[in-house]
Amino acid sequence: MTTASFILKNAFRNKRRALLSVSSVAVSLFLLVTLQVALRELTLPPQSAGAELRVAVRNKISLTNPLPVRQRKIIEKVPGVEAVTPFTWFGGKYKNEEGMSFAQFAMDADKLQSVFGEAKMNVDGYEKFTAEKDACVLGKITADKYHLKVGDRITLDSTVYPGSLSFHIAGIYAGTPDDRNMLFRQDYLDESIGLPGYVGMWWLKVRSADDMVPVIQAINAAFQNTAAEVRAESERNFQLGFISMLGNIKTLIASISTVVVFTLVLVTASTMSMAVRERFRELAILKALGFQRRELFAFILAESFGLAGAGAIAGIGSAYLLYTFGDIGKMTAGIFVAFEVTPRIMGFAALVAALLGIASAVAPALSVARMSVVGGLKTLD
Amino acid sequence: MALPLTYNFRNVLVRWRATLATILGIGLVVAVFVLVQSLAIGLEKSAGNTGDPRNLMIVRKGSTAESTSQVSLAQFQIIRYWELIAHDAAGTPLVSADVVTLISQPRRDGRGEANVSVRGLTPVGMTLRPQVKLLTGRWFIPGKRELIVSRKIARRFAGFQVGESFRTAGNTLSVVGEFDGSNSAFDSELWMDADEARSLFDRQNYSSLLVRAANPEASREIINRIESDKRLPLLAEPEVKYYGDQTATALPIKILGNFLATAMSIGAVFAAMNTMYASVGSRTREIGTLRVLGFRRRTILAGFILEGALLAAIGGILGCLLALPLHGVSTGTMSFNSFSETVFEFRITPWLAVKGITFAIVVGVIGSLMPAIRASRLPVIAALKSL
Amino acid sequence: MAEPIVTIRELSKVYQQGEIQVMALDRITLDIAAGEFLALMGPSGSGKSTLLHIIAGVDRPTSGVCLVQGIEVTKLNESQLADWRNHNVGFIFQTFNLIPVLTAAENVELPLLLTRLNRAERRKQVETALEVVGLSDRAKHLPRQLSGGQEQRVAIARALVTDPALIVADEPTGNLDSHSAQEVLGALQALRKDAGKTIIMVTHDPKAAAFGTRQIHLEKGELSP
Repeated sequence: MTTASFILKNAFRNKRRALLSVSSVAVSLFLLVTLQVALRELTLPPQSAGAELRVAVRNKISLTNPLPVRQRKIIEKVPGVEAVTPFTWFGGKYKNEEGMSFAQFAMDADKLQSVFGEAKMNVDGYEKFTAEKDACVLGKITADKYHLKVGDRITLDSTVYPGSLSFHIAGIYAGTPDDRNMLFRQDYLDESIGLPGYVGMWWLKVRSADDMVPVIQAINAAFQNTAAEVRAESERNFQLGFISMLGNIKTLIASISTVVVFTLVLVTASTMSMAVRERFRELAILKALGFQRRELFAFILAESFGLAGAGAIAGIGSAYLLYTFGDIGKMTAGIFVAFEVTPRIMGFAALVAALLGIASAVAPALSVARMSVVGGLKTLD
Repeated sequence: MALPLTYNFRNVLVRWRATLATILGIGLVVAVFVLVQSLAIGLEKSAGNTGDPRNLMIVRKGSTAESTSQVSLAQFQIIRYWELIAHDAAGTPLVSADVVTLISQPRRDGRGEANVSVRGLTPVGMTLRPQVKLLTGRWFIPGKRELIVSRKIARRFAGFQVGESFRTAGNTLSVVGEFDGSNSAFDSELWMDADEARSLFDRQNYSSLLVRAANPEASREIINRIESDKRLPLLAEPEVKYYGDQTATALPIKILGNFLATAMSIGAVFAAMNTMYASVGSRTREIGTLRVLGFRRRTILAGFILEGALLAAIGGILGCLLALPLHGVSTGTMSFNSFSETVFEFRITPWLAVKGITFAIVVGVIGSLMPAIRASRLPVIAALKSL
Repeated sequence: MAEPIVTIRELSKVYQQGEIQVMALDRITLDIAAGEFLALMGPSGSGKSTLLHIIAGVDRPTSGVCLVQGIEVTKLNESQLADWRNHNVGFIFQTFNLIPVLTAAENVELPLLLTRLNRAERRKQVETALEVVGLSDRAKHLPRQLSGGQEQRVAIARALVTDPALIVADEPTGNLDSHSAQEVLGALQALRKDAGKTIIMVTHDPKAAAFGTRQIHLEKGELSP
């Protein structure tokens, strides 16, 4: 028999308790990882390729106020701007659904590749999108969800504009962090609705990262004190603006994470202490046999670390597997799309598990330190 | 015959250290459950608490939010002169044409910006919304660039205190008053003069009409008439129903709440099981004695389940107490419906407390079921021999 | 000899210990008369506790017959047995086995909860039982506030509170000092004399056995005269 095998035998002496301890650690760490990932996605949305060269221009009053078409010529002339496209929220509802299950935006067909190059689609799709006025391109997730394919027609009822519009699908794209949106042509929208020269916002691409700041400043300055002042900002900042709108939800999730960790420590520490208290007599015998205090501590610590570690592997592992290979969009009703379990978050959860191992060893270790051999032997009589 | 309740109760107290940890654990789980649900309730309550049963809301057919709805001047003029509309003492028809728009404003805590709803309305519109009461300052004066702010919103954004001003749409607006919306959706709004709002935000059309029908009969007639008139691509609904339907925002919170409740309750069941198994384990002889005295298996079973339920119920009550201080505290998030900041309160209703405690008891019963079965299956002899 | 209260014929008990079969009782035949105070003696492992457990209805024999007051205890099912024990047997343990969270009076009352008696009747019986063992003044005390001898006397009160014909005691003095042991044995003796109870006591202490009206010895599962 080795020390290790002795510890192992000890830890699983009460199999049921070991299993319950490991399970409760696992459940809690699973929860912790989930909340941390949610928090991260709410704080730092996934970044798309090409974001570092993109600028969003919206009405300074708010995102929902439109911008006049005449701004386009001025923006195009700003040095460093490579391409500009309108980007207008359509707010369409598909097939009598209660709410909007995916977003649709109107834009210029020939700017799709230059501004949103990360949306990958076959060449045929781009050609059709540029050639046919009622064409649209659809994100793969949405296409899969409704079993739509290239060539199908879809009709959407707008919640923003009167009436509905019918489109035919020119292509299905993938490769963006959230392949759910539908893009269609601004000129089609203008024609059908008779928009009096307004678009939702502008998206543009700058030539290089160095152009970013000057372009943003130039655009903001260009429309100052006009009827439609704008706010130009990087894609990143634009996204963070959305996050800011979520308000106290972040705080809520952060506080819940804290409570979960606390509950976890509490319950597990109590279980571990129970386990050790149960074998007080054994520890006393070990002491009588000549084991030192620090060796007894090592036994206790090794055992609690072992249980916490097993729980960590089960909890973090199952979270990783579920969120990496599961369909997170379906699980969260479309609130989250990526839900990436990062190494950092896994590391954090592992750290919590390690601290848990230490914390739950403290109370039993203290009582073992205080225990006299005779007292320990008496405990169970 | 059941074991005396005091027996189980005192046993819960005896193993107080392990018991305390379990109670606290279950308590925290229940507190989280109650808090998240209280948010959903608060959100729904603020939506369901809005409007006057005599009023009708008229918006563009197909629009989902007032800010994206459009009602033209011509449509307003047609409806305004219908004989079905109630009139005030001076003979003015009780129809308010409102303009609702969103403005992006910096948060008070400096953490970015968020959209806030601005409602432009007439004095009639204020009469039709008696839920809104002025707290400090004064009402805005028509024709001036000034507005009044809900107190709950004012707390959350910069420049919204009475006497302060802020810039939007190239102009400066002064805050002249603060109001309370009686926990309705109006608590998330700023109010100003309708015509000022139209010129400031360059709006040709109104967003919505709020009308008071002469009587319930007339109310139904207005709904029917708008439904059947091809010139009016509008939708009329009772105001209360209109706001009541705006609760989709509670969905993500409910999903979060259900997920947390499920995951945490699994953890809590494990904790309760551990405690109860330990309790059974250390009472082997006691259980044997009871059996020798003539108590039956099912009595022992019931006793231990009762003990688990008791323990969990204490935890449940504790959890509700832990959550209680947040009752009535207001918080806010973006409504996916209106795309603007919605403020609402944590609302811990008695029913929610009952649900929380019931939830705890279910956890306790499930957690103690297996240990209790084990206790009841202990052979009498083995129990006597375990010294 | 008076009418036997316990009739045992050819009673055997075999334990399976892993591969090995252990003969705990080997075809025992024994009559116990009503009003006897029987001391059952023998070294550990002799089967005396097993015999006691079978008579008291907490264990079952492998073969043979055990009649208590004419009832074949071995034929009763679990629930019937529980009821039967409650009404007919009072049990006294070596380790007292009082419920630590209940007071002396509540411990004594415990078996009465299984009867139809109302609260007042129960209280009266509890008082009587405590009086018999001389502990009326300790009714409100918890077990840990009592001495060993007092605890065992509470256990005796609990055993007699349902007024069973038969009281069984398994090493009742095993955990007690000699003074307390005297106290407990005296109480048992009084029960026989004053209340006419039949008492079966397992012990390996000859001094304790001397309190009985008859002593029998068990050795390796067999009676030795």
